[in-house]
Amino acid sequence: MKYPFPVGRSDFIQGDEAIARAAILAGCRFYAGYPITPASEIFEAMALYMPLVDGVSIQMEDELASMAAIIGASWAGAKAMTATSGPGFSLMQENLGYAIMTETPVVVVDVQRGGPSTGQPTLGAQGDVMQSIWGTHGDHSLIVLTPATVQEAFDMTIRAFNLAEKYRTPVALLTDAEIAHMRERVYTPNPEDIELVYRKLPANKEEAQYPFGDIHGDMIPPMPIFGKGYRTYVTGLTHDEKGRPKTVDAEVHERLIRRIINKLEKNKEDIIAYETFDLDDAEIAIISYGTVARSAIRAVKLLREEGIKAGLLKLNTIWPFDFEMIEGIAEHVSKIYVPEMNLGQVYHLVKEGANGKAEVELIPKIGGEIHTPTDIIERVKRGV
Amino acid sequence: MHLKSAYEIREKYLRKDMLPTIFCPGCGIGSALQYTLRAIDDLGISPDEIVWVSGIGCSSRVPGFVNFDGLHTTHGRALAFATGIKLVNPDLKIIAFMGDGDTAAIGGNHFLHAIRRNLDVTVILINNFTYGMTGGQVAPTALKGLKGTTAPYGQFENPFDIAELAVAAGANYVARWSVFNYLQGINSIKKALQKEGFTLVEFLSPCPISFGRRNRMKTAPELLRWYQKITVPLAKAKKMPPEELEGKIVIGEFADRNRPGLAREYEEYKKRAKKMMGWEE
Amino acid sequence: MMMQIRLAGIGGQGVILAGVILGEAAAIEGLNVLQTQDYGSASRGGHSIADVIISKEPIYELMVTKADVLVALAQLGYDSTKEELKRDGILIVDTDLVKPDRDYIGAPFTHLAEENTGLALTVNMVALGYLVAKTGIVKKESVEEAIKRRVPKGTEDINVKAFRVGYEEGLK
Repeated sequence: MKYPFPVGRSDFIQGDEAIARAAILAGCRFYAGYPITPASEIFEAMALYMPLVDGVSIQMEDELASMAAIIGASWAGAKAMTATSGPGFSLMQENLGYAIMTETPVVVVDVQRGGPSTGQPTLGAQGDVMQSIWGTHGDHSLIVLTPATVQEAFDMTIRAFNLAEKYRTPVALLTDAEIAHMRERVYTPNPEDIELVYRKLPANKEEAQYPFGDIHGDMIPPMPIFGKGYRTYVTGLTHDEKGRPKTVDAEVHERLIRRIINKLEKNKEDIIAYETFDLDDAEIAIISYGTVARSAIRAVKLLREEGIKAGLLKLNTIWPFDFEMIEGIAEHVSKIYVPEMNLGQVYHLVKEGANGKAEVELIPKIGGEIHTPTDIIERVKRGV
Repeated sequence: MHLKSAYEIREKYLRKDMLPTIFCPGCGIGSALQYTLRAIDDLGISPDEIVWVSGIGCSSRVPGFVNFDGLHTTHGRALAFATGIKLVNPDLKIIAFMGDGDTAAIGGNHFLHAIRRNLDVTVILINNFTYGMTGGQVAPTALKGLKGTTAPYGQFENPFDIAELAVAAGANYVARWSVFNYLQGINSIKKALQKEGFTLVEFLSPCPISFGRRNRMKTAPELLRWYQKITVPLAKAKKMPPEELEGKIVIGEFADRNRPGLAREYEEYKKRAKKMMGWEE
Repeated sequence: MMMQIRLAGIGGQGVILAGVILGEAAAIEGLNVLQTQDYGSASRGGHSIADVIISKEPIYELMVTKADVLVALAQLGYDSTKEELKRDGILIVDTDLVKPDRDYIGAPFTHLAEENTGLALTVNMVALGYLVAKTGIVKKESVEEAIKRRVPKGTEDINVKAFRVGYEEGLK
């Protein structure tokens, strides 16, 4: 297959462009979007590439419709994606909930900017963390990935599609205005070297009768896509294994919702991704994710040079969350610092995980500027 | 026209395990559904080639009752979901079963833009002037003075004429009937299903329980008689002065044209892109 | 080894494209590289800054904090960012357009561009050539490959020519 961008070599590209290229290599063939700073470049790249690879790129009337269109596309059999920023992400929450309830594999990119409301359209932030996890109503779960570099934005976009397909779930990729517009060297592998996952399809008509049933014992039902003669009925109402609405049956509701949550919770080991830097013998831990993790890595190195035993846990996923791992770290350090470009979001998860075993301190920063290593170092030194 | 028995249609197209329906006695949705299924049957379209989509409301439950692929989505958004389905698999025919509030209030913008794009879809619109499922609140089609639980003293806003909106936005086919006009209704749906692009068949449909009760029309026959009184055929309406048409609803075929549909336009767009980039001759 | 380079000018001088091409050249050589930009909301006439950080080690910085090299193509660009240049850093200026208040090197880049290519627009490539010759941060060949990747089709030759003019000037 021919690609509209170079493969098998390193290129110097922006984060938004990297996400578009990775999506196409991941097999995404449907993109619906609505222009918004700082995510528009993802859409513009998709608009350029999609028709050339026999995919669809369409500008919808708003983000409600973009989210709806990608879900429809997914049920028609395509890998589908949309991208937006905070204001649009707010509008997408409605149908994000629908995607969770109907177990529809889709990828949603949220290029974070300062909020709430229109806020700071061109500046980076990490204020959408809680929204990405809990933005839609009702009990639920989904997967949230947090890249810190342009290469990670590329790699995690492919992973986002693979996880969405494997677990039949929406996956959110949380970047920010910094990563969106910075250029870095990105290695684009040859397509044949990229491992791709495709959703499980029903093996036969009998299996297709249970689009929401745990018929394989792995909590992930095969997805009977439209147009194959399966006569699948999909609804956002509480439904039984066959997809029939059962809106007042407590048992059916609990079985459905618990399975949707557990298919991710029980596969945490496969889903959760993180990296550590100098954490093994650390007395002070910094827990960070996304753009800020870059400054945190530098801060750890500089602190070590000064003889302070600092270590870093860099979260590449923030949901599902590994509370037990945080407790394990808390047992071995005296203090945990959480630098975030918000007034405390992942901080609360870390605090819950630490379970009182170590003091957890937030290093917040808002306004559009990222933490410098010095911001982090000074706070850590104050505590030593 | 030979009509098969309703039992035969039911046997052939409904999911037995989903019956009975949620519809109240005297509701018109079942009639509109029956006309749609008869149109499909007459045209001999395989159910495997059709996807039904819907939003929220009584009429939106229809995809659950018919034995086809179906997507019962969020309030007002059915056509946005349909856009994704159609562009990914243009071989599928899409029927959207929608209510008045779903179409013209919460989904108004999606409706207008789906028409502007000429999305290939046949919308069967149930217009009963009310939000039946949530208990009789006024709909954006409610004529001035009609009562609903959120305008208990009579609607004070102006109504939307959805069919006229669709014509102005550029739909390929637009017709409106009451469910009483069953032959015209079936024929319009057949025409709509055979066209590409956006097609709309609107039905004035009785809701005695949520709407009629509050407007001194407690039964379906009373509502149908009222429709007879307030509807004016298009040919006749053309000769009437505007003041005489106050409070009336025109029925008939309002648009019948053949502009290319979205799916075909996108296929052409892909060819253009490849040509412009030198990928193809 | 890490080098922080800032290119500063006004909108329309192609400062950001020069930064992107320098970054692309570094990427071609397998170096780690990051480029960010800052510009006023005006697309013409406002200040325009491109930051490029090139390193053999991973780069954690997101912007130039202390520039090893500052290339200034306009007085406005110089004034708005001169504080970011290290005390012992290299200042490169268009000697016709910028009057610095410290040690500098440079040449009349805009004049050279016009004289050799007939287009003042290629000033960014002339300055880039000078920068590469003076610092040796990337190879000449890598930049020429990067130019071919990045400039609009049909303008490769004129841009490479401008780059070589600057490069030769830098070797003097």
